[in-house]
Amino acid sequence: MKLAERYNRVNFITTIIVMVITGVIYYQAISWILTDQKDKDLEVEEQEVFDYVHLNHQLPQTFQSNDQQITFTQAKPGSVEREFINTTYYKRWDNGRHHHKGRRHRDGGEYEAGRGLVSSVTVGDKYYKILVIESKVETEDLIRLIFLITLGVILLLLLVLLAANRFILNRLWQPFYNIMQELRGFNIADNKEMPKFENNIEEFNELNEVVSVMTAKAKREYKDLKAFTENASHELLTPIAVINSKLDTLIQTENFSPVQSKLLNDLYGGVSRLNRLNQSLLLLVKIENHLLHEQEQVNLRVMVEEMISEFDEIFIDKQIKLTHTLEDKEIYANRYLVEILLSNLLRNAIRHNYAGGEIIINLSSDSLRIQNTGDPLPLTEQVFTRFHKSSGSEGSGLGLTISKQICENFGFSLQYFYIANYHTFVIGFLNQTIHLM
Amino acid sequence: LNAVKKQSACEKSTVQTIYPKSLQHSLRIFKNQMKILIIEDEQGLRESIEEYFSEAGNICETASDYPSAMAKINLYRYDCILLDVSLPGGSGIDILKGLKANNYPDGVLIISAKNSLDDRLEGLNIGADDYLVKPFHLSELKARVTAIIRRKSFNGSNFLVFNELTIDLLAKEVKAGKTPVKLTRKEYALLLYFIANKGKVVSKNAIAEHLWGDGIDMADNFDFIYSHIKNIRKKLVEAGCNDYIQAAYGMGYKFTEA
Repeated sequence: MKLAERYNRVNFITTIIVMVITGVIYYQAISWILTDQKDKDLEVEEQEVFDYVHLNHQLPQTFQSNDQQITFTQAKPGSVEREFINTTYYKRWDNGRHHHKGRRHRDGGEYEAGRGLVSSVTVGDKYYKILVIESKVETEDLIRLIFLITLGVILLLLLVLLAANRFILNRLWQPFYNIMQELRGFNIADNKEMPKFENNIEEFNELNEVVSVMTAKAKREYKDLKAFTENASHELLTPIAVINSKLDTLIQTENFSPVQSKLLNDLYGGVSRLNRLNQSLLLLVKIENHLLHEQEQVNLRVMVEEMISEFDEIFIDKQIKLTHTLEDKEIYANRYLVEILLSNLLRNAIRHNYAGGEIIINLSSDSLRIQNTGDPLPLTEQVFTRFHKSSGSEGSGLGLTISKQICENFGFSLQYFYIANYHTFVIGFLNQTIHLM
Repeated sequence: LNAVKKQSACEKSTVQTIYPKSLQHSLRIFKNQMKILIIEDEQGLRESIEEYFSEAGNICETASDYPSAMAKINLYRYDCILLDVSLPGGSGIDILKGLKANNYPDGVLIISAKNSLDDRLEGLNIGADDYLVKPFHLSELKARVTAIIRRKSFNGSNFLVFNELTIDLLAKEVKAGKTPVKLTRKEYALLLYFIANKGKVVSKNAIAEHLWGDGIDMADNFDFIYSHIKNIRKKLVEAGCNDYIQAAYGMGYKFTEA
């Protein structure tokens, strides 16, 4: 759920709840105030009756007006308790005027909500119950009107709030999205620094700063790590060179027993692997650091042909059948890296093949495909991860990692497929146009 | 001063005094002898190289740091100088610059731990003859040094003669006596490699790296080297040449006159 959505939802629900509660309270309050007002009117009327009775010792004439009725009824003394009641008010129409449409009505009149006061008065020795009723219609209309206006205002407020939130949230969160955008494009290996987004929101400034510091730190540590790998590999070169040269010198001495020769052979093999591994690591660091940046126009067809002729004898020796269809393809790349890439892929195709197997190379304007027969099981995506090796492989486990890095360096794609018993590696060139621009 | 004394003593013992000084150099080359200077600070490596190159008639001198290297270079000329780039007291590149500034004709092979194209190009641009990255096989170093000296000594007329074998280095043609021997590109390279390292056991790893480049990971199968060697021997013997290549304890091969 998006933050804005969540925020709006919470906002909406609370606003509605608060609105309902305040609406009820508001209604009650106005109702109470207006009823109180009515009650005061009724009391004034009652007082008038009392005054009249006190003055004239008789009941006043009952009269009828549009909004007030008074009736007197004789009752048993002491039987009437003074109270305010909600009752109905029967309104007679004068001159057949038709207003208050839609109300319950009878001939010549209609019932309306009314407020009444029941009281009593003693005139001489007679005890009367007084009933004063006033129409509440106008009060209720007023309440309704006030309520509707209030509701309207609240709804409008809600709408405005929603729109404002939407706008403000988008606008306010812009720095956040900018930072996100930068983080998405963050590459630990490149030298681009995290840009500063100037804005006056403290939180975002803080976020920006923290992100800047963090990325700078990550980059620095990555750089240190790479420097370490490079230094370590470099430092290893001399001891390896010494071992190698000592072995070369050792085998010049005569008379080795078969056991000794076997041991020496194994030593050679070990040193050679150590050396390859070391060279691969150095190369990987170099590619990742983009240290090999001399690029030139390279004809891939010519390079593939050269590479094939390099391995001619091995194809014959291993009885591998090679088929190739090569179109002319010019790429803009570092020649040395392209050599390594092609040689790695071709060596793999040979190494993981069997005697009497097959290699198919296909170069077109948008891809280079190298297919080989071999183990009848497809490889996993892990082939491109460092030090991933098939069982029994004597390789460094870095060949495909290096190949992938080289491809990425040029903006190519390198993918593995298992198609109809062929292990297939495809280099896609299509990305390069983007890379060149 | 000690080194200087040793040097002159060395020369006296190996070069016969009946030849005028100018001829000494040519004579050494003719006898396939060479005078080299090894500038390398790593003792183990320096000693190995010295031992590998020291054989009948070859003169090997060593220097382990920048000042002693400069002292030797300013006093004596060498057929080839093996130059390590990183030295205590200075850079090998500066030594190379010094050589070139004085127009000294010595061949220079840079030995570096840095396998970067920039360094390689810089070295070659300044005037080094070749560039070899550590670690290397001594046989590879020998082959390169031999090639440099050969190029320096016989300008243009590039014939390599070994007993009945004659190799035209320009046309890349091999003859046994007068019979041409048809070798493939790799077989030809291998033959030259063997001749440069004659009398030495060359390991299979070294051969593989020489033929298929650095970092070859085909080491799991040396069969193809075996079949190459078999082919060369067959072709040479069929052309009436002696069989000079011997297998050595399953570790490698030896090209020997005997």
